[in-house]
Amino acid sequence: MSSIALEKVVKRYGAFEIVHGIDLAIDKGEFVVLLGPSGCGKTTTLRMVAGLEDVSDGKLSIGGRVVNDVAPKDRGVAMVFQNYALYPHMTVRQNMEFALRPLKLAPGEVDRRVRETAAILGLDALLARKPSALSGGQRQRVAMGRAMVRTPEVFLFDEPLSNLDAKLRTQVRWEIGKLHKRLGTTILYVTHDQVEAMTLADKIVIMRDGHVEQVGSPEDVYTRPANTFVATFIGSPAMNLVPARLMGGKLQAEAFTLPLPDRFAGRTAEGQAVLIGTRPSDVTLTAADNPGALRATVEVTEYLGDDALLDLRVGLHEMIAQVPAANRPGNDASVHVTFNAAGLHLFDAATGGTLLS
Amino acid sequence: MNKPSTRQAILVYLLLAVVLIVFLTPIYLVASSSVKPAPIMFQKPPAFFFTPTWEHYHVLFTERPFLKFIGNSLIVALGSTAISLVFGSLAAYAISRIRHRRMNDVAFWILSLRMFPPITVVVPYYIIFKTAGLLDTPLALIIVYSTANIPLVVWLMKGFFDEVPSALEEAAMVDGYGIIETFWRVTLPLAAPGLAVSAVFCFIFSWNEFLFALMLTGSRAQTATVAVMSFWSSDAVQWGRIMAGSFIILIPGVVFVLTCQRWLVRGLTMGSVK
Ligand SMILES: Nc1ncnc2c1ncn2[C@@H]1O[C@H](COP(=O)(O)OP(=O)(O)OP(=O)(O)O)[C@@H](O)[C@H]1O
Ligand SMILES: [Mg+2]
Repeated sequence: MSSIALEKVVKRYGAFEIVHGIDLAIDKGEFVVLLGPSGCGKTTTLRMVAGLEDVSDGKLSIGGRVVNDVAPKDRGVAMVFQNYALYPHMTVRQNMEFALRPLKLAPGEVDRRVRETAAILGLDALLARKPSALSGGQRQRVAMGRAMVRTPEVFLFDEPLSNLDAKLRTQVRWEIGKLHKRLGTTILYVTHDQVEAMTLADKIVIMRDGHVEQVGSPEDVYTRPANTFVATFIGSPAMNLVPARLMGGKLQAEAFTLPLPDRFAGRTAEGQAVLIGTRPSDVTLTAADNPGALRATVEVTEYLGDDALLDLRVGLHEMIAQVPAANRPGNDASVHVTFNAAGLHLFDAATGGTLLS
Repeated sequence: MNKPSTRQAILVYLLLAVVLIVFLTPIYLVASSSVKPAPIMFQKPPAFFFTPTWEHYHVLFTERPFLKFIGNSLIVALGSTAISLVFGSLAAYAISRIRHRRMNDVAFWILSLRMFPPITVVVPYYIIFKTAGLLDTPLALIIVYSTANIPLVVWLMKGFFDEVPSALEEAAMVDGYGIIETFWRVTLPLAAPGLAVSAVFCFIFSWNEFLFALMLTGSRAQTATVAVMSFWSSDAVQWGRIMAGSFIILIPGVVFVLTCQRWLVRGLTMGSVK
């Protein structure tokens, strides 16, 4: 039985349809990340699960029970808000106790849970403080603590790290991961940061404009993107896409010709317009006399430390290569490159869908 | 801002002194006249040093049931303040949270209730309360004052409720609270300063009101303000008693404001949401 299930879930504001019939099944204990660009409907979807927005159409169930018309308080979910939403007139301890009060536990149990959660999150010393006397990272942990004390069926997170600085973000991300392993609670987590998604998720749901583009493990979405949107959204720098046409069993681009890798055999049609996808790390520098070497001009070199990014021009095509920083060519250098055939992706130029599906 | 120079400081204190003199002189006159023997009451120049007399106060409480009038005033003022706060803040919460294109019209309509000059409705009120058998009862004044105070409370509290981030209410709802509990435990405590301001305004208005109290009460429900003026009769104005009564009337207002003051703190919502 799924912990959370969305069936054709639609969200409309008046005549505006924001979320267009999402299907999603989340298993018990799974860590699922909703990932997508700004405004794609991640928060809206999460808020529908929490019960803070009505579901316009479709069916939403939590723990096997349809909850379309169930009030937030009766859904058994706990939520960590993007801006934490701590009760400012209560101390840290009171914030956590407040979340426990509706459960009508014995006073000793309330105290035990607050202590235990505070210990896990390192909030022991802060229990008597008001939120206004806490740093951003501490507030973030209090917000998690308030959600955790209730031991809910489902945790909902809405960009919980977006207000933290880069270093703290990494640290708290790590703590959330540990927490999930320890508690094993189902988590639905919204972010537009792909590093968060890749590191935390069991399953990533990639959204665009209110549609789900792909659902899969981090490895799935990185190595087998379902379409050009996912291909270019996941991975940094983005995957290079070069238009080409299938001619006589070869990929004919404007400036070069590549043999068609075997795994695409039978999946293409003669004359089909395609997009060739290569990750920047699959574009490698090579000697001029290597078979298949393509002439390229380096327009800009960006030094990153271990690696360097080269903005290349191959004939009419622009692409980015990620190469070891040692011996990197300078600006305007003339080089030769090859594509790693194993990392080659092909998409239908008309639909953007992968040819490997 | 830079540290103020001595000259600026002197200027500030000078201005403060002027303001204090303007505001405190009448109060001084009331206080001193209330204990001034009648013969020297209007002596020119005014007598600053004299042996105070409690005569006026004595008369107030022995020859007249002034304590009862104060009691009436308290009942009316506290009653209408309580009613105005309850209904006013509930209405304000609805107006603040319900998204509807006509909501502004509703809010404006409520405000418009305060726009007419009170004198225009004195006679209608009189007729209504006479028919209802409420003339000369505290309830009549409580009703009248509440109709005047509720619009004020609605507008004040709407502003304060607008300031409470809706994310806090959503957090409470996800934490397991219904809408009424959320209002009671989260929203209202955060709007407490507004409640305090509203209470002060309502109380002072009701406590000081004269016109309706004069027209709608007789001997039983008379309030202190009206009672004081009864020393102003056609044949004699008993200034000492008026001053003594006025001074007593000053006190509850001050006490009430000071009581509410600890809630008049700002920035209660600080640190809740980033
Ligand atoms: N109350 C509303 N009325 C109308 N449109 C809304 C409303 N709330 C959100 N939207 C629209 O719905 C879309 C999705 O919003 P949502 O907040 O879910 O995006 P998001 O994916 O969380 O983006 P971000 O990463 O920026 O937080 C946006 O285009 C937004 O403008
Ligand atoms: Mg969002």
